[in-house]
Amino acid sequence: MKVLEFKNVNLTYFSSLGETPAIKNLSFSVEDGEFISIVGPSGCGKTTILSLISGLIKPTSGTVLINNTEVDTSHTGYMFQKDHLFEWRNILKNVCLGLEIQKRSNANTKEYANNLLKKYGLWDFRNKYPHELSGGMRQRVALIRTLAMNPKILLLDEPFSALDYQTRLNVCDDVHQIIKSEKKTAILVTHDISEAISMSDKIIVLSKRPATVKSVYSLDLKDYGAPLQRRESPDFSKIFDKIWKELQEDEK
Amino acid sequence: MKNNLKQSFSKDFIKYKNKLKRNKILIVFCQISLLLILIGLWELFAYLQIIDTFIFSSPSKIVATTIDLFKNGNLTYHIGVTLNEAIIGFLIATIGGSLIAILLWWNETIRKILDPYIVVLNSLPKIALGPMIIVWVGTGIGSIIVMDILIMIVITIISMLNSFVNCDENKIMLLKSMGAKKYQILFKLILPNSLLDFISVLKINVGLTWVGTIMGEYLVSRAGLGYLIVYGGQVFKLDLVMASTIILCILAALMYFIVALIEKILYKTRGIS
Repeated sequence: MKVLEFKNVNLTYFSSLGETPAIKNLSFSVEDGEFISIVGPSGCGKTTILSLISGLIKPTSGTVLINNTEVDTSHTGYMFQKDHLFEWRNILKNVCLGLEIQKRSNANTKEYANNLLKKYGLWDFRNKYPHELSGGMRQRVALIRTLAMNPKILLLDEPFSALDYQTRLNVCDDVHQIIKSEKKTAILVTHDISEAISMSDKIIVLSKRPATVKSVYSLDLKDYGAPLQRRESPDFSKIFDKIWKELQEDEK
Repeated sequence: MKNNLKQSFSKDFIKYKNKLKRNKILIVFCQISLLLILIGLWELFAYLQIIDTFIFSSPSKIVATTIDLFKNGNLTYHIGVTLNEAIIGFLIATIGGSLIAILLWWNETIRKILDPYIVVLNSLPKIALGPMIIVWVGTGIGSIIVMDILIMIVITIISMLNSFVNCDENKIMLLKSMGAKKYQILFKLILPNSLLDFISVLKINVGLTWVGTIMGEYLVSRAGLGYLIVYGGQVFKLDLVMASTIILCILAALMYFIVALIEKILYKTRGIS
């Protein structure tokens, strides 16, 4: 079943200096439960695509559909480069932020948030403040804050780039496992090809600006296990090579 | 885990802690001694008539004047008048300035329109407005409070607005992606995010309010510590001038400590020590 569909989407940014076409004739779709990565040359409009899916900006022309209805902010949960936890709220209150904003804070939704905290080992830290947690744990709190709103689609905008390499590999596994066990559809934007290959079911390669779909790779690395193990599979390096060469062409 | 740490203090650590403690005691001791020596020398020179007490007064004369003022009953009255003006001005300027800053954050067009006016008002020496204030507001306590507010309000607006506007754009994006309305962004993010800046504004204003009040009392007053200082200067009663100044010092310090206490409590609610 298709959860997300881009149909001939165009987007042009306007500024006092002129107009910049950011996205041109973009069409793709995402199936329920899929983990998709979007890679492309830097500045090609990857983040813009996430903003379109989240409903923060509207396309100049074309349509973005979630479950066959036009997008608005209630369908998606957005995870940013940094965790953006609020320093003045404890962990539990940070996790419940989205529920408060959407005025859906009731016994049921709170119970759901509490269960997420328990399930993913943060329950004992619920009364702590963000500055008392490590970078990896903070990012996990940020993910649970997103999941607590029970979104249909998770949008991940380079959510690991602020972490050091060691933590990054671990948090990658962590987040992948949580997303899979919650059976969420996820769209990851990254410039790290190996991260994309190790986590996703499908990779969309974009051209340079104005962005359009250049090619789509369907991966089947599930048998290899968690993202960290997938990095060691023979298929991994083959796919890496192909995507890398494809991106190189655009750099010239 | 904390208990374990406590038990495993090494000898060197205790030594280090003791050294820190000794250092702290030494500093406080020197601070107090310095004050006592200065007062002692002042008193000694006055006693030996090396300095003219008519011009420089002396600690004992200042104490005598203060006691005399208290006994005649009008010192508490003068303190009350000044304290009243300082607190009213402080509250109106801090709360009013913050509210105006919120309005300017909310509406970017108004912010852009008023920007040059705020810049000019900020660089204007407020004392220049004194004569105008007296003519418009009158020669009562009102003029003093208006002067006091003028001293503080512009800098309050600028500091708070700066803090609001500098809020992390990505944090605003996060709230928007959750579907937040503007008032939710204000109450859930902008205001709590600016709390620490608000405390530093409180600290600045708690000093400025005395500048404003005394300046106001210099311009126009019939009572208050500023009035006593001006009056003392005019009739060459330096004892009175200095006694009033010292009382002013003590009041300003007390008010600052109250704000520092509020700061401590607010930090605690956020788990920061």
